Amino acid sequence: MESRKPPPSALVDNHVVPGDVVLDLTEMTNQTIKLGAGLRQDCDTIQATSAGRLRLSKPNKYWVESSQKRYIPSVEDTVLGVVVDTKPDNFLVDIKGPNLAFLPVLAFEGGTRRNIPKFEIGTLIYARVVKANSIMNPELSCMDATGKAAEFGQLKDGYMFDTSTGLSRMLLSSPTCPVLEALGKKLSFEIAVGLNGRVWVNAPSPSNVIVVSNAIIKSESLSGIGQRSMVESLLERLS
Amino acid sequence: MEYVNPLTGFRVDGRRPNEMRQLKGEVGVVARADGSALFEMGNTRVIAAVYGPREVQNKGQQVNSKDALVRCEYRMADFSTGDRRRKPKGDRRSTEISLVIRQTMEASILTHLMPRSQIDIFVQVLQADGGTRAACINAATLALADAGIPMRDIVTSCSAGYLCSTPLLDLNYIEDSAGGPDVTVGFLTKMDKVTLLQMDAKLPMDTFETVMDLAIEGCKAIANYIREVLLENTRRLECQRG
Repeated sequence: MESRKPPPSALVDNHVVPGDVVLDLTEMTNQTIKLGAGLRQDCDTIQATSAGRLRLSKPNKYWVESSQKRYIPSVEDTVLGVVVDTKPDNFLVDIKGPNLAFLPVLAFEGGTRRNIPKFEIGTLIYARVVKANSIMNPELSCMDATGKAAEFGQLKDGYMFDTSTGLSRMLLSSPTCPVLEALGKKLSFEIAVGLNGRVWVNAPSPSNVIVVSNAIIKSESLSGIGQRSMVESLLERLS
Repeated sequence: MEYVNPLTGFRVDGRRPNEMRQLKGEVGVVARADGSALFEMGNTRVIAAVYGPREVQNKGQQVNSKDALVRCEYRMADFSTGDRRRKPKGDRRSTEISLVIRQTMEASILTHLMPRSQIDIFVQVLQADGGTRAACINAATLALADAGIPMRDIVTSCSAGYLCSTPLLDLNYIEDSAGGPDVTVGFLTKMDKVTLLQMDAKLPMDTFETVMDLAIEGCKAIANYIREVLLENTRRLECQRG
């Protein structure tokens, strides 16, 4: 039997809600389909389990793109976590997920038993998800794939606020998000965006931190042009 | 009292026997919640807020660690009825309705995808005019979808009754308190499955089937409306972003 490419669902790039049948598998034989977030197989059909827009990544990856306040951990995601407890072997970190994440005390550059970092409860950490499985707690690391600290580790000073996961993805998208581009031309600031819907901002002056934070929060429901004009009006008030 | 006019066939509030009250739904009404919704069925107004999935706070409550723990709390605001309510938080009726909502929502939520976590559903009746438990289930469904919690299907609920030898859809408070049979149905539309069936009086079997079918038709109509609300919400966000 010849292997044909799966026919793309008629619902691709359309909005779906829970229960919608996205694909009928009876029409597809000898084909592999990869299902992402928001989809599940039920007998001979693929159904949506959350509301959003159905996406297809050629040739065969389907997922539902949506925006929530909660985060489902995924390997290689960069996240902003808050230390909620310390254990001898690891820190318990809140990453806005279904479970607390583990950050091993040795998951730092040059980490040994002698130089264990001392994080107090409430410390903000920028980390990378290295293990994500529904049956066990996610595991974080403050090193990149080569074992270097890179940009990961404790974030001091600054201001952290919560956003939706959709806004986080928008801020990290390429090309640069209009709101960050417009702010970057006029102000100097540091920003760390976690895919778990948390954003950390630091700037030389508190007023700059407030402007950047407000601009990012307001940008969620604005188009690119709207974001630029909103930044301009905020900066006018600042000057 | 005549609940159905024998000449015109209209009910007390001017509706036909198989006519529903006006529906209105809105999502994202509670800023701090992970998902929230306001749902109105006529003069019955309900707000639902969902928190989770998050770490289980009381490990003793979780019986099965392979599934998410779903908790539900139903409350009626003191100002929700004509007479100011002075009932304690944990009265039996509230406890029973909390359990009903929890069981109905558990049938829809894919709890096995979120083991060792908990989902909290808080439902508050702001204005009561009959059919509060149906409105609560509909509000909870909207709030769960807003929170992005994976569900098998949209679960909706509607009540139907039998007064003056006439099956009536979506009873208001006057009809509800008339003492006749009141059937509340929870329904998974796409899967064509009943997740909740409650009746608080006796009915002959053939009449019961007619009333239940009427309630299911109501559930399907509500499901179509909820679907539109969710699609409109997703579209609105994307339109705003250009």
